[in-house]
Amino acid sequence: MVSLTVNGSPVDISGKDDKPLLWVLREDLGLLGPKYGCGVAQCGACRVLIDGESTPSCTVALGAIAGASVVTVEGLARADGTLSVVQQAWLDEQVPQCGFCQPGFLIATTALLAHTPRPTDAEIDEAITNICRCGTHPRIRRAIHRAAAAQAQG
Amino acid sequence: MPRFLSRRGFLFTGAAVGGTALVAAVGGVGYLATVDMDGPDGFVDGNRAVLNAFVAVHADGRVVIQAPRTEMGQGIHTGLAMLVAEELDIPFDDLISVEHPVEQLAVYTNYAAPLRTRPEDAHGPVMWAAKRALGLLPLMNTAGSSSTMGLWFPMRIAGAAARHMLVTAGAARLGVPVGELTTSDGFVHHGASRRSIPYGALTRDAAAVPPPREPVLRPASAWRLIGRSQPRVDLPGKVRGEPVFGADVVLPNMLHAAIRQAPVFGAGVARLVNAAEVRAQPGVIDVAVIDGRSVAVVAGSWWQAEAAAQRLDVQWTRTEADGVTSAGLAASLHAALDSDDPYIHLAEGDVEAGFRPGAARVVEATYTAPFLAHACMEPMNATVIIHGDGAAEAWCPSQSPLFMRWGVNRGAGLANVDPSSVTCHITMNGGAFGRRSEMDVVVQAAFLAARHRGRPVKLMWSREEDIGRGVFRSHAAARLRAALGPDGLPIAYDARVAAQAMQQSAASRNLPFGNGGSARGDRFTLEGLDKAHYSFPNRRVRSQHVPSHMPIGAWRSNGFSFNTFFAESFVDECAAAAGADPVAYRRALLRDSPRHLAVLNRVAALAGWGMPMPPGRGRGIAIEEAYESVVAQVAEVTVAADGEVTVDRVFCAIDVGIVVNPDAVAAQMEGGILFGVTTALMSAITIEDGAVVESNFHDFPMQRLRNAPEVVVEMVPSDLPPGGAGEPGIVPVAAAIANAIHAATGRRLRSLPLAVTETIGERRTRSVLRENAA
Ligand code: FES
Ligand code: FES
Repeated sequence: MVSLTVNGSPVDISGKDDKPLLWVLREDLGLLGPKYGCGVAQCGACRVLIDGESTPSCTVALGAIAGASVVTVEGLARADGTLSVVQQAWLDEQVPQCGFCQPGFLIATTALLAHTPRPTDAEIDEAITNICRCGTHPRIRRAIHRAAAAQAQG
Repeated sequence: MPRFLSRRGFLFTGAAVGGTALVAAVGGVGYLATVDMDGPDGFVDGNRAVLNAFVAVHADGRVVIQAPRTEMGQGIHTGLAMLVAEELDIPFDDLISVEHPVEQLAVYTNYAAPLRTRPEDAHGPVMWAAKRALGLLPLMNTAGSSSTMGLWFPMRIAGAAARHMLVTAGAARLGVPVGELTTSDGFVHHGASRRSIPYGALTRDAAAVPPPREPVLRPASAWRLIGRSQPRVDLPGKVRGEPVFGADVVLPNMLHAAIRQAPVFGAGVARLVNAAEVRAQPGVIDVAVIDGRSVAVVAGSWWQAEAAAQRLDVQWTRTEADGVTSAGLAASLHAALDSDDPYIHLAEGDVEAGFRPGAARVVEATYTAPFLAHACMEPMNATVIIHGDGAAEAWCPSQSPLFMRWGVNRGAGLANVDPSSVTCHITMNGGAFGRRSEMDVVVQAAFLAARHRGRPVKLMWSREEDIGRGVFRSHAAARLRAALGPDGLPIAYDARVAAQAMQQSAASRNLPFGNGGSARGDRFTLEGLDKAHYSFPNRRVRSQHVPSHMPIGAWRSNGFSFNTFFAESFVDECAAAAGADPVAYRRALLRDSPRHLAVLNRVAALAGWGMPMPPGRGRGIAIEEAYESVVAQVAEVTVAADGEVTVDRVFCAIDVGIVVNPDAVAAQMEGGILFGVTTALMSAITIEDGAVVESNFHDFPMQRLRNAPEVVVEMVPSDLPPGGAGEPGIVPVAAAIANAIHAATGRRLRSLPLAVTETIGERRTRSVLRENAA
């Protein structure tokens, strides 16, 4: 049995140690925010925070992260429903098109800003390697800078 | 999922009732008046009033709008809701919700894309018959950048008709003449007595009001919403991870399926070597051959189904295509450019005269483009259940509820089940680009559902199936010739393209009748090649259909995606031969096309055309008219000494006609440009042994944030009715980049993609011009 904290709540899952975390989240825990886009750690649609690190959950076996704290896109907003600064910036910049890739970008950006509160463009390029087929790249960059500024203002 | 309309919504069969909102309304604008296009009369359902096929008002003031086109990220639900809200006179706030209708009513038909004209402009007996046929089906496809074009009138009329019904009900309630009432922000006001009634309080009475015969639309001067950016209605949910995409559909007792399809298109299953072994894998309850062509694994979870499918050992039948390679396919294109039986699309003047020896300087060049996959972020999927009573129900992020319905019938039919009815739910859609106009995954899911009656089956393709086993944009080759006169401008323009026809291939898979007509003269092969806006005194445009075993389907901007690269690169070559500046040259060619000239001038000014650039950098321009819009772009590139090419900025000017939601148009330009940068620099599907080589994002790469260009978009003011915005953005990009590379390096690149993708770390790549690549 593997015990995790998922979006702040403890969960125990047995008999699924080899199953990728993405599919545990989607199929066993009903968290459909993380998406399957490639299954091979290329696209980032499945990214979640594992102990604060942005990680493609499609290639992480559940058994490898026993005891970890996992946050999905559903866990980014505050308990009262208030959007996180990253989500708010995403809305303010009207970033998503189809939106399928966006949970992964929101997670990756959340992790980036935790480590690097005011990232340069080069740091953004280095940290955010997700794929967006719809081409929201220009708005994502703007939204990251907006979120960083909002976070700096508290 | 609650149905929007009662059985009464199915008025198509009972259309003799007549006099309903849309028939009356459209009479006023001279369109469809002779075609049965009835939506429902107003009716009350619980505490909401359905005022017509598009608008329902709830007692608590909520307004539910039926938007009969698929929301796939282009923001169409927001734009269509704005059109209703403008005329209904309600604020654009969160009291508005937007749904894709479940009923397939004639009134929801898409006329604009198949008829290639705005429905309000489609007159005459041929158009009447075509509209009648499309409405009978009814065709509700979201395709061809046509949604705003096609619904520009109907959505506003629906809003105006609903407002009229509410005002009429308000007048009766207040005991005053209709003419003394005004509306604003969802209220009916009587100024003289200072009384106001919210719409929600009038719903029951309004539903009983006969719809107006000729709703009066607001003049442009009175618009509050049209032309002012409104926030997308789907984004608050999307930043929370809430929307239910097709891949996220969960139903009680649902089964999951994964699939393996033949690597060589046209091959079938010769032998399923280890069915028993796969059947014994955890969670697996079925291993099924579908139509002799693919093998599906059905399990309790998709992870189990896919894991088991990875163990499948299938021997595929041999086909004549087993030895086909990209090189061979390319050779067939080039041979077709020399065939003596081309389809003559256009022959104006005497083209050959221009090329007589000694008559003029001749410029000639040959260009190529590869096959392409769509690679929508959401993998292909569909969920189908055949209920105990024989009724089928399906959920899919489809671009075509009609094809979806046909797909369910065909798939169930393969299992000898004939559904008594098919209800289609269009889910949130994770990108489509033409790919989801295909019904392949729906057919497969319906077949599996028919084998497991009473249980929903969700089939999802892996990314590898999506990229390597799907449907493709055709490869293409073109030879362009021009004879330049003394002023350096073409006297004669002669363009010839060879590609595999799209329409016939798509129709053969997706239409239950006929084959979609002749592949010869396929318009999707030709679009973008004639450069009609340029003043060429003599012009000839020809095409050749080159069949192959590859399935060809709709792909964002279709022929424009290669022809505009060919033709706008070529015009640059002509400018260079004439020693002219590319913008000045195009200005001369656009002397009879003021709309295009204005867009060209706008983008040139925006980009600071003519300002000096440092060595290794260059600017390139391209312009096209597509989907009733005119779009021009300037790309700025840097080419490093080692051949690394970076697109630094792209400037875009577009005349899209009247702009409904400017920020959404800007987003479509940005998205189209990024999609186009990926295509121009990185994308190719290659064939070996008859099969697609590429399989996932490591070998069919996408532009990531690193090196993504900055994009600057400007809309040129226009009072023409709206044109398309979903596809034009991608159209000029490749040529603008190739022209910029030429400006930066003097090198003329005539084959797409322009570069190869080198991996420089995990999920990090760079684009390097071919001749520099290792
Ligand atoms: S699904 Fe995990 S990175 Fe693509
Ligand atoms: S918004 Fe569609 S893939 Fe990114």
